[in-house]
Amino acid sequence: MTPSVPYPPDTAVRAEPGSFRDPANRVFQAGDDILRGLREQAAQDWRALAATDFFPPLIAAGKICGTEQVASDRVPADDGGPWAAVLRHERIPFLSHPAEWSFAMLRDAALLHLEILAEAVPAGFTTKDGSAWNLQFRGAEPVFIDVGSFEPAREGEPWAGYRQFCQTMLYPLLLQAHLGVDFQPWLRSRVDGIEPHQMRRLFRGVRRWRPGVPTHVHLHDSLTNRHAATTGREVRGQLRHAGFSREVVAATIRSLTRLVRRLDWEPPATGWSDYQSTCGYSAADRSAKQQFVDAATADAGRSALVLDLGANDGTYSRIAARHTGYVVAVEHDAAVVDRLYRQLRAEGERRILPLVVDLADPTPGAGWRSTERAGFVTRARADVVLALALVHHLAVARNVPLALVVDFLVGQLAGAGGRLVVEFVHPEDPMAQRLIANKPAGLHADYRRDTFERLLARRCVIQQRQELPGGTRTLYLGTVRD
Amino acid sequence: MVLAYLDAGSGSLIVQALVGGAAGAAVATKLYWRRLVARFRRPQDSGAGTPSPQHTDRT
Repeated sequence: MTPSVPYPPDTAVRAEPGSFRDPANRVFQAGDDILRGLREQAAQDWRALAATDFFPPLIAAGKICGTEQVASDRVPADDGGPWAAVLRHERIPFLSHPAEWSFAMLRDAALLHLEILAEAVPAGFTTKDGSAWNLQFRGAEPVFIDVGSFEPAREGEPWAGYRQFCQTMLYPLLLQAHLGVDFQPWLRSRVDGIEPHQMRRLFRGVRRWRPGVPTHVHLHDSLTNRHAATTGREVRGQLRHAGFSREVVAATIRSLTRLVRRLDWEPPATGWSDYQSTCGYSAADRSAKQQFVDAATADAGRSALVLDLGANDGTYSRIAARHTGYVVAVEHDAAVVDRLYRQLRAEGERRILPLVVDLADPTPGAGWRSTERAGFVTRARADVVLALALVHHLAVARNVPLALVVDFLVGQLAGAGGRLVVEFVHPEDPMAQRLIANKPAGLHADYRRDTFERLLARRCVIQQRQELPGGTRTLYLGTVRD
Repeated sequence: MVLAYLDAGSGSLIVQALVGGAAGAAVATKLYWRRLVARFRRPQDSGAGTPSPQHTDRT
């Protein structure tokens, strides 16, 4: 499900930039294979994990990504010597950042992490960490991907991942559920999430009594400050001595699960949530556009990856998904994405992934050297790009020159041989007029259909052109030139 | 003691006793009772064996 046309087959083994933090294991890409090299202790832990009763059913249910052991020489030795064992993981079609998830996506991911931990603890296992980065989405279904995180639990020790869980999952959920504040910008700005002291300042006065806040925020921050100079080794010793047990860990997980289940957020009505009925299309326009997209994607192939940019309610993502392998439905309005996710999740859809991304300001690279987690543009290479009712928003509302918009859609997102389905809203269209009217006269003089067509023809072979019945919008199907 | 690659944070470890239900409450009570007792203990009483709460509180 990777772009099949633009890139030559590449079987070189490359370390994933985001997998260096735990030296016990490292993830690699070798062509389409996702491999994980394990050091000796991690290999022992893996063998013990594979022999448990809880792990195989979670893989079979799709809750943990498919994993099998392969020959250890699939990953070459490095400075740490040869790998004691190598695993091959199921490939997730499109990797996303937690900052690109909607509220319900993050909540489902958090609940899955807790569910897996709740299964692991009675079996004598735990996870070394508790980050939202341990999870990804297979369409509208969360999946736990960090198999290297499992290790045998040490009796008498709390969950080492609790702080990460709070910072990257619980706190963002509290922020949205209790304050109605979008969490995405917070997660986007810090790969390790929101600190307890930052949360504490946001939850003063009566807000401090909202569910989960007194303990997981205020008490957590107080204890963090009070014990800042105490080592984890000392605290673990004291807790063990005081009788901390596996039952306390299990009770903590149950308590967190109850809390996360209670948290909810009703996506508010926004200008985009009713877009399909306010965007000015007649029934004939809508029908013609749907037929055009259906025909344009019909022979793209079952392995094709589609990017639907400005997906809104997912109408065209669903059409593309009929013919292709996987659709990433990109939309900048978090409320709209949340609604779409909840629908897709209820339908059990595993081939459409909705994401919150502003295309004029896409998710940047994050973490170490800004490459630990690749930015959206680096990840977003597709066989088919749908850009429907999008160009005028970028070119007029966001002032991106038309030539740069075309370069972005063609050179960046759809590579050579890929196809672009793009809609140009004429400057006379009421929606375009509304945007242009907010700008000084003449600022968007180059926003013209002939200019757009000339720019498009420079980068694409235009296979098909169709004006919608309303007469103010034109659809193009282009194949990207080599 | 085997330590995880991640610094779990001392406060983040202790708070888990306080959210861990009845079993956690018993642990927390015992932990803080020991700390309280340690405050009134003569300095020479704290010594070898399990790290004393005094050591951790006064670092």
